[in-house]
Amino acid sequence: MEKALKRLRKIGKKVLYALLTAVIIIILPFILIIRIIEKLINRDILKFDSKKERGPIGSFIINNWLGETYKAQNNRVFVYFLMPALGTFLLFVGLPFIQGIYFSMTDWTGLNDPQFIGLENYVTIFKDYAFGYSFFRTALYSIMNIVVINIVAFSLALLVTQKLKLKNIYRAGFFLPNLIGGLVLGYIWQFIYNRALVQFGGMFDPSILVSGDTALIGLIIVVTWQYAGYIMMIYIAAIQNIPQDLVEASKIDGANAWQRLRTITLPLVAQAFTVAMFLTLVTSFKQFDTVTSLTQGGPATQLPLWIGSIYQKTLMPIVQSTDLVAINIYDEAFVNRNMGIGQAKAILFFIVLLFVALIQVYYNKRKEVEL
Amino acid sequence: MKKLLLLVVATVLVFTLAGCKPEEKTLVIFQNKVEIDDVLRDYAEAWGLENDVIVDVKTCGGDTCAYGTQILAEFQADEQPDIFVIEGMGGFLDYEDKILDLTGETWTSNTDLEFIVEGVTYGFPVAVEGWGMAYNVDILDDAGVDPDDLTSQAAYLAAFEDIQDYYDTDTAMAEYAVVSMAAASGMTWVTGLHSFNGYLSAGLGYSDSTVIDKLNNGQVDTDRLATYVDWVELLFTWGDDDILLTGTYDDQVGKFADGEAAFLHQGNWTDSSYADSDFEMGYAPHAVMLTGNDSIFIGAPSFYVINKDSDSIDDAKLFLDDLAATSEGHDYMVNKAHMVPAFNSVTLTPSTPLSAAVMEWNQSGKAYAWWQNDMPSGFGMDTLGPIYELYAKGVKGDAAGLTKTEFIAQLTAEIEDLG
Repeated sequence: MEKALKRLRKIGKKVLYALLTAVIIIILPFILIIRIIEKLINRDILKFDSKKERGPIGSFIINNWLGETYKAQNNRVFVYFLMPALGTFLLFVGLPFIQGIYFSMTDWTGLNDPQFIGLENYVTIFKDYAFGYSFFRTALYSIMNIVVINIVAFSLALLVTQKLKLKNIYRAGFFLPNLIGGLVLGYIWQFIYNRALVQFGGMFDPSILVSGDTALIGLIIVVTWQYAGYIMMIYIAAIQNIPQDLVEASKIDGANAWQRLRTITLPLVAQAFTVAMFLTLVTSFKQFDTVTSLTQGGPATQLPLWIGSIYQKTLMPIVQSTDLVAINIYDEAFVNRNMGIGQAKAILFFIVLLFVALIQVYYNKRKEVEL
Repeated sequence: MKKLLLLVVATVLVFTLAGCKPEEKTLVIFQNKVEIDDVLRDYAEAWGLENDVIVDVKTCGGDTCAYGTQILAEFQADEQPDIFVIEGMGGFLDYEDKILDLTGETWTSNTDLEFIVEGVTYGFPVAVEGWGMAYNVDILDDAGVDPDDLTSQAAYLAAFEDIQDYYDTDTAMAEYAVVSMAAASGMTWVTGLHSFNGYLSAGLGYSDSTVIDKLNNGQVDTDRLATYVDWVELLFTWGDDDILLTGTYDDQVGKFADGEAAFLHQGNWTDSSYADSDFEMGYAPHAVMLTGNDSIFIGAPSFYVINKDSDSIDDAKLFLDDLAATSEGHDYMVNKAHMVPAFNSVTLTPSTPLSAAVMEWNQSGKAYAWWQNDMPSGFGMDTLGPIYELYAKGVKGDAAGLTKTEFIAQLTAEIEDLG
């Protein structure tokens, strides 16, 4: 009996979710359409509400939203038509996000009944030296990665927009690594670093993945190899959009290649820079798959003194040197089973990333030139 | 208009309910041993035909699938398996609310290795596993080392030197390794769990939990730790550089399987890699204490448990019963899956070399316990493992690595943090 009840409850929950989704996504617009048809048949679309005195705010709301004025009906229709998109967005993005904020304030482990514990998780993560170090390494990695990828991608884009034979083949070739999944790529490059390059000796022996700082550089090389081709495509599109008359005019005026690049190409592709920088920024901060397979977060290293002193450590603990924030969050949530703390870290990460991205877009936007 | 609305709602309802049609009698097993996936599937299918149950075996494990993560996801997605696997105390505490009491099942009388907490039986031992220093008999013979002598750190040191001298006689063996051991990230289970278990159990009785209890209370047995660290230093010093610092599981085991390493720091689960190996092998004890090491580490790594909320509890119980009691079950465990069964009722012996060696050590009663899974989850692999990795670097002369004193200090600090 108890089992049957349980099963019923389980099914009931699923039906409820399905109904809710159906109502928001399918039925509301449906009702709306029927109502519009109804109005059309009755020809009362232009019926106006009797104008009573309700004060400025009251009449504003009535006239614009609630009443039967032309404008209010129009506005309401807009809202109805917004429903499918807005409903889907709220159900699949908005609701989970709010749920996430709630879970970050509980002691959820994934299996227990979550208890509300306020901001305790946030206090815990501010005391977590490994997370602090993760943030530092991620920032370091991201800065280097953004610079390297954009320089490489822009250079490649300049190269393949010149008059070259086979330039389409070059474009395809540079783009190709982007089609390989990050995990596979990590394993391939792990083999290259650990087994192939080591044979050359010198700086490659022992493998560059053995030491923390060189492992970070190794990671940047792999990600650049993978991602530069994609960013290159964005730059190619922008470079091709530069009006040729400007270039010709500058040639007639005697500008050399460097002057043309600096005064014409760069300002006119600034828009592409905004997009490319944003994409590289976000992907570098969220880097996960390639690291997982290439270094598994390692190699281990001792916490640097200056970070240790912030956390008032006397004996510097051991940390993982390519343990980027995304990996740290994953481990916290799924390996250590602290879903609550992991979620709190994710929220903090989201806020930081949001601010960094906003600042980046703001500064990049100012450099853009409108023709 | 109202009729139209009704129609729409009705249609939606019909579609939703159609998705919840009554299920057939099924048994879902979610397990973590990739290497036995095929044979378990075959066995389960045959068993299912006989008992009129559809058995669905799901496997997640090895390098590519994190079992702990996946099982959590299954539970959260309401795709709860009927039988799943826990690995010792850590797993039990995570899933305590979900695990069925199995006290009094018939198979419990045939084994000593079932998973018991406070007198209540919860887990069915999947297999017995063990590790020690696996050795290549050919190399040891040629180098003049008798494996029976390997009970002290001094004996190991002498043996390592003899083997290196033997390698030096022929340039063809220049790339040979004395010890094949891996300590890089991704292999921290070898160091942080298997090696460290020596500190927790060597020289103690099988159920003596004093050291692990102290560890969980944040206390360190300083002398014991110091002797243990001497052993780690010995292993790292004679370990192959590349494998120690960057090796993967395949590198580590491959070196031994190719006959290019005298010793391997791994357990009998590596048996599946020796299909092409043409040398004899056996196990010698870890020399965790200075002298008198006479046992290898043997235990049951994982247990089948039954989901308390399962709809097919009776079938699940029957499945486990038959596995332990029927000759088909024995045949599957020993001959197909090449496991060392935990049940006295089994008379078959495994054909694979290291499993046979483990069974021999086990039958002669020379076993040290497994306590590594009783440490807090993540402590061995994520906290201790990286410390070993840095010490390995230090032993191999990397300036960024740890010295022996620092290594001991780090281990001590981390253990004391548990208090």
